[in-house]
Amino acid sequence: MLHVRRGVLFSLLMALVLLGGLVTGAVAQDEQVLVIGHAEITDSYDPANGFTQTTGIVNRATYQTLVTFPDADASEILPLLATDWTISEDGTQYTFNLREGVTFSNGDPLTADDVVFSMKRLQNVNGNPSFLADPIVDVVADDDMTVTFTLESVRPSFLAELANTVFSITNADEVRANGGTDAADAEETDTAEDYLNQNSAGTGPYILESWTPQEETVLVRNPNYWGEDLPFFDRVLIVNIPEAATQKVALESGDIDLATDLSPDQVAELADNPDISVFIGPGNIHHFLIMNADPEIGGPVSDPLVQRAIRLALDYDGYTDLWEGSIQPGSDLAFGLAGAFGPDQALSRDLDTARELLAEAGFPDGFDIVMTYPDLTFGGIPFATNAQKIQADLAEVGINVELNPQDFQIALEEYREGDQGFGYWLWGPDINDPADLLSFMPGGKVAGERLNWNDDNAPPEIVALRDQFAVESDPERRLELVAEIQTALQETSPTAPFNQPAVQIAFRSDIEGFVWHPQWLLDVALLSRVG
Amino acid sequence: MIPLLFGISLVAFLIANAIPADPINANLPPNALNDEELIAAFRAKWGLDEPLHVQYITYITNVLQGDMGTSIKTRKPVADDIRQFLPATIELATLSIVIGLTMGISFGVISAVWQNTVVDYFVRVFALIGVSFPVFLLALIGLTIFHSELGLVGGPGRLDFIVRDPPKVTGLFTVDALLDGDFDKFRNALSHLILPSFVLGMFVSGIIARITRSSLLEVLNMDYMRTARSKGLSERVVVIRHGLSNALIPVVTIIGLSFGNLLAGAVLTESIFAWPGIGRYMFRASTAQDFPAIMGISMLIAVIYVIVNFVVDILYYFIDPRIRVA
Repeated sequence: MLHVRRGVLFSLLMALVLLGGLVTGAVAQDEQVLVIGHAEITDSYDPANGFTQTTGIVNRATYQTLVTFPDADASEILPLLATDWTISEDGTQYTFNLREGVTFSNGDPLTADDVVFSMKRLQNVNGNPSFLADPIVDVVADDDMTVTFTLESVRPSFLAELANTVFSITNADEVRANGGTDAADAEETDTAEDYLNQNSAGTGPYILESWTPQEETVLVRNPNYWGEDLPFFDRVLIVNIPEAATQKVALESGDIDLATDLSPDQVAELADNPDISVFIGPGNIHHFLIMNADPEIGGPVSDPLVQRAIRLALDYDGYTDLWEGSIQPGSDLAFGLAGAFGPDQALSRDLDTARELLAEAGFPDGFDIVMTYPDLTFGGIPFATNAQKIQADLAEVGINVELNPQDFQIALEEYREGDQGFGYWLWGPDINDPADLLSFMPGGKVAGERLNWNDDNAPPEIVALRDQFAVESDPERRLELVAEIQTALQETSPTAPFNQPAVQIAFRSDIEGFVWHPQWLLDVALLSRVG
Repeated sequence: MIPLLFGISLVAFLIANAIPADPINANLPPNALNDEELIAAFRAKWGLDEPLHVQYITYITNVLQGDMGTSIKTRKPVADDIRQFLPATIELATLSIVIGLTMGISFGVISAVWQNTVVDYFVRVFALIGVSFPVFLLALIGLTIFHSELGLVGGPGRLDFIVRDPPKVTGLFTVDALLDGDFDKFRNALSHLILPSFVLGMFVSGIIARITRSSLLEVLNMDYMRTARSKGLSERVVVIRHGLSNALIPVVTIIGLSFGNLLAGAVLTESIFAWPGIGRYMFRASTAQDFPAIMGISMLIAVIYVIVNFVVDILYYFIDPRIRVA
């Protein structure tokens, strides 16, 4: 009897496997479909409420902004829904001329009313991203195709901020018809979010067909798209695969065309697979050393001469060799942002000068110091590995580093409170604009609050440069200033930026046109399939 | 049952709140964390500014009125979320239990009858793997071999990603596809269901196999077994009718308890297989400190667990004549 029982069991198992096995071939498709495997993190596709990476990807396809960045970086501001703009003398008023002939996905033409409505609704619904609109005091339609923004104070980074999908222009009539309002009490009275989670009301090349939270987001071609460059794919599925390991299997099997969340280790394992291509380009996170400017806290590293010596002692090429595709940034301004110094303008290792500077500072034989850093791996890069290399690099000029890995939260607390003397951290831009460098200037979020480098102990020239740069709205003059500042900071500053790791994204080899973007990560309208 | 659920709700509430982390960090964008006004608004909106006991009383009052609250993460009523994610788990859990029971009991019987033979050792190793092997690793290995390499079964998700969901009736894709008369879709859904069900089934089958084996071994040595054999009954009747039906009593108890295992395994299995079920939802809710969702799922699981064990108690009545008499 036991043979019979075992036989039944095996037949049952085989029957299940066979039934399943019959369907592994893809179902025939008439339309071009792109499938993206992505760890979904979003709570809203309403531009005024959603503020996550997933929202950025989706809203980049369904909405558009007045101005935008180039496809691959944030190196300049380009017109999009606005054709041109003027900035008032005092830098507080921006007047935009809207593009003629732009239509929303339902066929309605774009007018100044839509822009005013979108901005006021963003401010008044008090959603997660609404704080970005705080600097805007008023938005007025001068006529049907002209809009003027008034800011509370001069804000040279304003155009770069407007390129964020948070400032997407929505169809005022459509949103109003579905419960939307831009009135002052919109936080209580606006009910359009549910509608905007299932439909888009924008001018982008795609429209949102449906969203099943934590399962999938479906985009389809916008039939009324005004632009000349039509997207290749008829339908884009963004399927939620939270586990990176599963994304990898799904990519290898061809279940998905592109995986957004693979770690560098996982991407490396795919390198030999002819069906998979990998995009490698500089990301926007950079790694740097901090040297507290307060002598009580920083000790020897508070001395600007020592700070400079440490910058010259690091083996920059060693780090770029260590992390494939990474680069040496020229400053604390992420390479890829407008005006940022790249590897060409970066410092080179110079041990002799470093030793001379140490001697000049009174440390001819070097000194002992503790370096604190968070004990974590970020983007596939273990802090510990870089920390050991820093230790080895500095040993060559006599600086004896004791490594002090700490729990992330504990190390972060000490760093944020400005109590860390010598440490190793990373930074991602708050805004994709050269103004981000202000965080690393005297009194800034990093240099001032965390490293005690302020107006009283920083060189007056750098303080003066900062004050000029903070209020300069003219694009060309800003770029000149940002170059001057970076040169000055290479000479004197309490940080040592040493590596900007690569972003690695894997996709099927028949997918073309992928570029990573620091703002919206991925623009599905640029992708196509060959063959 | 009612006091039990109250107890569970209180414990779940306290544990969820005892974690030394702030839902602000998990739910607001990092650059908004400097904005005191926004943080205050977030706390007020979700009632996080109230003292703990007030939060709990408000929650219980709402639950008693049939309102399980709104998820912080999905911003939808928790009851709606459960309606969305539960069918996928039911479909997975049902097939897993069937597979787990079939494998577990069969292997247990085989291994008991052929005690201390190669077959027995094989089954015992299998059971050990089932019990102790990490589910997520088993899932990944299964996916790589049976999906990527051999192409025998479907990959992550409930259907091929490009295939659209069947019209919703029950929410169980296999059933809905059949109701729709779409056999291609049925096979597709089944091909995606098999592997996660096997993984999860194996996870519960190990313990069932071990209990069945030891329980049957004990029974096989009973006097009444010798009596049955001496009556001239065939070995098959002896083992099944007299042996197994007596040996099943402790096994049934374990089935009730291993339901908890199944749900724990479902969290990992669903995450790896991109299976949009309650397990994955629970995982997301925990990492985001989404209190209403955590509470809702905890209550749901408690209710299911209590019901399953209630059913198990009733099953005794049918399996064990002694209970019927009593």
